[in-house]
Amino acid sequence: MDGEEKTCGGCEGPDAMYVKLISSDGHEFIAKREHALTSGTIKTTLGGPGQSAVNETNEVNFREIPSRVLSKVCMYFMYKVRYPNSSTEVPELPIAPEIALELLMDVSFLDWEIK
Amino acid sequence: MAAFPLIRSRTIGELLAPAAPFDKKCGRENWTVAFAPDGSYFAWSQGHRTVKLVPWSQCLQNFLLHGTKNVTNSSSLRLPRQNSDGGQKNKPREHIIDCGDIVWSLAFGSSVPEKQSRCVNIEWHRFRFGQDQLLLATGLNNGRIKIWDVYTGKLLLNLVDHTEVVRDLTFAPDGSLILVSASRDKTLRVWDLKDDGNMMKVLRGHQNWVYSCAFSPDSSILCSVGASKAVFLWNMDKYTMIRKLEGHHHDVVACDFSPDGALLATASYDTRVYIWDPHNGDILMEFGHLFPPPTPIFAGGANDRWVRSVSFSHDGLHVASLADDKMVRFWRIDEDYPVQVAPLSNGLCCAFSTDGSVLAAGTHDGSVYFWATPRQVPSLQHLCRMSVRRVMPTQEVQELPIPSKLLEFLSYRI
Repeated sequence: MDGEEKTCGGCEGPDAMYVKLISSDGHEFIAKREHALTSGTIKTTLGGPGQSAVNETNEVNFREIPSRVLSKVCMYFMYKVRYPNSSTEVPELPIAPEIALELLMDVSFLDWEIK
Repeated sequence: MAAFPLIRSRTIGELLAPAAPFDKKCGRENWTVAFAPDGSYFAWSQGHRTVKLVPWSQCLQNFLLHGTKNVTNSSSLRLPRQNSDGGQKNKPREHIIDCGDIVWSLAFGSSVPEKQSRCVNIEWHRFRFGQDQLLLATGLNNGRIKIWDVYTGKLLLNLVDHTEVVRDLTFAPDGSLILVSASRDKTLRVWDLKDDGNMMKVLRGHQNWVYSCAFSPDSSILCSVGASKAVFLWNMDKYTMIRKLEGHHHDVVACDFSPDGALLATASYDTRVYIWDPHNGDILMEFGHLFPPPTPIFAGGANDRWVRSVSFSHDGLHVASLADDKMVRFWRIDEDYPVQVAPLSNGLCCAFSTDGSVLAAGTHDGSVYFWATPRQVPSLQHLCRMSVRRVMPTQEVQELPIPSKLLEFLSYRI
């Protein structure tokens, strides 16, 4: 898909539109920078929009978070941006109970400010 | 009194009761409104013994087309545009059902389980209900319960056992077509509609009128509330009483579980809505409708602020309440003041639509009013909490090896 190719290129440099989130088991998730910046921790690691990144490759390594949890987080980014607050029909985001507890702990343990 | 931002809810529409053919002082009330579990129909008791069944999506479209003016009493609701899926099934039709007596309660029952409930074994019975059966149960003034087929408007069953007004009806959400009726004769009865409406059990324990009942989302617990401050929880596998919840100072008239079954909301004439933890009986939150909060003596009498109805929204974060001070209030469970209000005179009952986007409220003159519910994307933490609490009661949550702050959050104690 053309979008994928552009995405990799878009991870470089301080003005990159995309960032890479890497889980503990080596999966790489590429998310839009503005979505990922809704999380306070990621914002601290990467610097705000337009600022030069502490980590210049715009990657964040999550050494304690497995892919089954990180993939749900990325889904939540899309879900949150897709349905703005005033929309009247917000469908449910399914979270399997098996990962829900782990997801809750990882999100809270890392003091992730996902509002 | 603390100042807080009062946002007025957006009105969506209204359905006005037809003019009565004769001037009657009572009998016009709309005691109950209900939405079908799959969102296809809306039912309201119009007063004067009739129930109107309206296809919900057509109704919504009419509201959008005509602004907030109502479109009532047209015996055939024909939309000017084509219906693209009119192929196999008939287009849902509007029905007006004459029940023969004042209708006090309504409930939709579907043989298809609502999502996220536990699986149920559907056995074959003589009076077979097809896979797609949608039923409407109506509870009447004389104690009878009539079961109607929603698609055809025909009477299917007549359940006779209660000796007094059937004040509330509710179906189990797991698709088993178990119906529970609550009556002024101080009992609740459990009926199995898959078995020809056989009455399976009588639940005794109330000392006075039973006003309302509600199933937990996994169909394992039933809550019943009634006069003399009664709030009871019943185990629906063994039909025994689990516990009584104490705290209200007056008759308790409405109850509703949150979508994950972790919270129970009850509304009372003592001007309060309480949010309980049904697993251990603790009161977690209190939503007052009178400031300053009334003393127990005042709360226990005629205080002009009776709360008539309460309903949990589908996101598990909002609660709607109807009170005699002519207001509908939307509350968030993490704030103690309402986030939105709307004016409503003589409101008697309310219900959220199946997708949770609309609140319907019925009034004393037989009409229904609709508002858009406050919607927002819940936090990821809340979504996880609901997913966990759907399968885990509070006692198990307390045993989890997690930090105490998370424990409190999971138990809704924050």
